[in-house]
Formats: sequence, C-alpha cells, structure tokens
Amino acid sequence: MNQINILNKKETEELLTKLKNQFGIEKIPGIILQKGKERIFLFQGEISDKEIRKIESSVKIERIGIYIGKIFEPTDEIRLSIEGTQIFKEQIQRNVFILDKKEDYEKWMNGQELNIRTDLRGIIVIKYKNEFLGCGKASEEKIGNFIPKNRRLKLK
Amino acid sequence: MKKRPELKELFVERMSELLKDKNDLKKYLEILNIQPVNSIRCNKLKISPEKLLKRLKENYNWKINQPWKDYPEVMIVESNLMPGELGRATEHLLGYYYIQELSSMLPIIALKPQPHEKILDLCASPGSKTTQTASEMGNTGLIIANEKSLGRIKILASNLERCGVTNTIITLEDGIKLCKELHKEKIKFDKILVDAPCSGEGTLRSSLATYRMWSINTVKALSKIQRKLFSSAFEILENGGQIIYSTCTHAPEEDEEIVDYALKEFKEKIKIEQIKIPVVSRPGIQKWKEKEYSEEVKYACRIYPHDNNTEGFFLTKFTKIK
Repeated sequence: MNQINILNKKETEELLTKLKNQFGIEKIPGIILQKGKERIFLFQGEISDKEIRKIESSVKIERIGIYIGKIFEPTDEIRLSIEGTQIFKEQIQRNVFILDKKEDYEKWMNGQELNIRTDLRGIIVIKYKNEFLGCGKASEEKIGNFIPKNRRLKLK
Repeated sequence: MKKRPELKELFVERMSELLKDKNDLKKYLEILNIQPVNSIRCNKLKISPEKLLKRLKENYNWKINQPWKDYPEVMIVESNLMPGELGRATEHLLGYYYIQELSSMLPIIALKPQPHEKILDLCASPGSKTTQTASEMGNTGLIIANEKSLGRIKILASNLERCGVTNTIITLEDGIKLCKELHKEKIKFDKILVDAPCSGEGTLRSSLATYRMWSINTVKALSKIQRKLFSSAFEILENGGQIIYSTCTHAPEEDEEIVDYALKEFKEKIKIEQIKIPVVSRPGIQKWKEKEYSEEVKYACRIYPHDNNTEGFFLTKFTKIK
C-alpha cells in the first residue's frame, strides 16, 4: 500500500486543472489517491486521512476507493475509466463523442477500435445515448479503445 | 447439465436429523437437483430498479419478476437463459446489476445499512454484500471490506469497481488479526457483517464441488474459526451497534453453536434480535447431538432451499448492549 498516495491540496488542484482543461470538470467529489505515477482513485468514504494512516500502520490496505482513470503519460492527459466517466457525467462538457449507431456501441463495448472521424484529437469521452462508456484516443480517422478485457461485450 | 455426484452418507444422515419429517427431507433432496433461479440485484448506485427493468425487458425481452415488494431492486429473470447470458449483458458489464443468489441478499436486508454509518464486512469477497451495502448507503459513510486471500481480493476489487463503490477501503488480512489491530487502534463500527467462511452445504444446488469437498472434519475446523471471527468482530462493534452472523451452511456446529457461544461468552453485553426477512425461515434448533443451546438461539433463521426455492442459508442478528 506504500505506493498509494493521498494527493494533497496542491496535487489535487493540479489534477483538477487537467480535468477542467480536457473535459470541463469543475469539481472532484471526494479524495483523490494515486497509485504509482499513473493510476488515479476516487474515495468518498467518511474517514479522515489521520485515521487512514492509523489503519495503514497495522493493516495491509489493498485499495482505497475505486479506480477512475489513468494519466496517459505520452501526452500527460487523463484517461477516465468507465466509472470515471460515469462519476463525472454531470460535469463533462467537452471532448465528448456520441456514438449514434447501436452497431458502433456494440463494437466499442467489444473492445474494438472504431473507424470514425470525430474531428477531435487525443483522449475523448465516449457516449451512447445517455450512457458514459469510458475514454478512447481519437486520431484522424479512428478511435482507439481502452475497454478492459473483463468488461468487454462478447458479440455473437 | 453435469451429472451430480452422490451425496456423502454422513451428510444425508445429518440432514435427516435436521429435517426429521420424511416428506420434508424428500423435498429438500429433490430440490438439490434443480438449478436455482436466475436472480439479480439492481445496483442503485448506478440505475433505478424501474429503469433497469425497462431496459432489460426492451433489450432482451426477459420476463422479470420482482419477488419482494419492499425490495424492488431484487429481480428474478424467469426466461430461459443461455449459460453465462446474465454476465454477458451490457447492463452487467456497465455495473447496473449484480448477479446474486436470493438468500445471499438476506444478511444486508437484515443489517439495514444506513447512510453515513461505519460498516465492516469481515469476509467480503467476492463483494456481493459489500456492493449491496454501499448501494443502501448511497456511497456515504465508510465500509471496510476485508478479505484474507490475495486471489479473491482481486475479484472483490473488480466487482466494487464495476459497481461504482467509492466509500470502501479494501484490506488484505486474516479477519481475526484485522479485528485485533483495529481494536488496538480503537476503531469501532456501527454495524458488522460476519459472513463466515463455511462448509457451503447451502450451495449444493449450484456448486458441484461442495458434494466432493464436504467433510465432517472441515465442519468442525471451520466452527473453531467462526467462533474466533465472531468474538474478534464483536470487540470492535460500537455499543448499541449491530452484527450479523451468517453462513451458507446448515451444519449446526457452524450455525447455532456459534450463536450459542456468542450468547454465553458475551452474556449481558449481547442481545439476539428477531429478524424480519422476506422469505420463509425456520427457527434455530435447540439441540444437536449431545449439545443443548440457549433458548434465544430460536431467533436465528434457518433458510432451507425447498422452503423458498433459494439456496440454503443461516443468519442471526445481534445488538451490543450499551
């Protein structure tokens, strides 16, 4: 658990700035933790940092809160997970691409790259109807898929 | 369907002592050959039962029954499904429902988690009851979900993630050690679930492995662990707090014997509660082999598969007296 770090106010603000620039997110509804350099977790439990430290001193803590995304190192962008996009769904305002065909939605959930021109670049949020489906990486004519294997839809 | 192994002779003998009426025993043995119903629990953290019901009917044309009026999140899919079909649906992948056996939902129904409480789930993996608890608490308060096996903790973390559970700390410890350490740090809980590791007699309808793995030695060994788990957990329960002890077995050594031990060990500090649950249950037994249990053990709930068309289960609720 040593590698999980509760972000301080300054670090949280830096992360929020990134979220704001990328997606228009204005507020983080809880404590942010970081595991290693990349993985970001959100925790909304009602317990102080001091109490967490107290528990941590004698007990192996495996995880605090849930994984909501990753810092995509090459570009320093944040790539939100499915839950990350669901948690921030009311706040996400930009860099969103809405799939309009059920076929594309199924391909996306199947983990496939989509050959679609979005006019967007970099990490984008994928939506189908009111459903938030995590992030993809948009390049000129396609969207790279990051749906984890255990969340992929098996197509018939 | 795979052929079921033979039930062990000693197991049948013990069940015939628990179900003395021959017709009752016959019904029990018959239902073991029938797969349990396909039940799911709507994850209210992500979607309302009404919306989920509408989606599932529209997208898959599933016939769905909500068997318990006060718990619309509990649903039985009555349509014939292909193996694994429930787990493959998009709504499952997106965390809108959790596939959970009906009887396994009962401990949390009995515990009644409330927003802002501090709750310990001592033996948490795979996370069905942790996610149910978080759903009832609306992701407020705090849950500590503990699991001692590294392999099983990954499943727990994955289920919590899929269900969007954000109020939980997952710990990797032996349950008894965890309670001791938390006790040293003076950390206490409003509610605790001890869904103890058990011999799994109640899961025979769905788990063929239980037929082979069952042994009286396992029952006896688990009984000792369960006793320690309960007493360790009771120490870190707030005064006035509530604790559920549950198993998915019918073995009295793992059920009433633990309840009887709790009542005798903690005497005036503990009170057994009558539980209101939406299924038919039978009272805890008063006598098993040479042992006689406290009268209050009758408030424990024995859930037999043939009474409700569920798996078998056992649960008891206690309050720590101020």
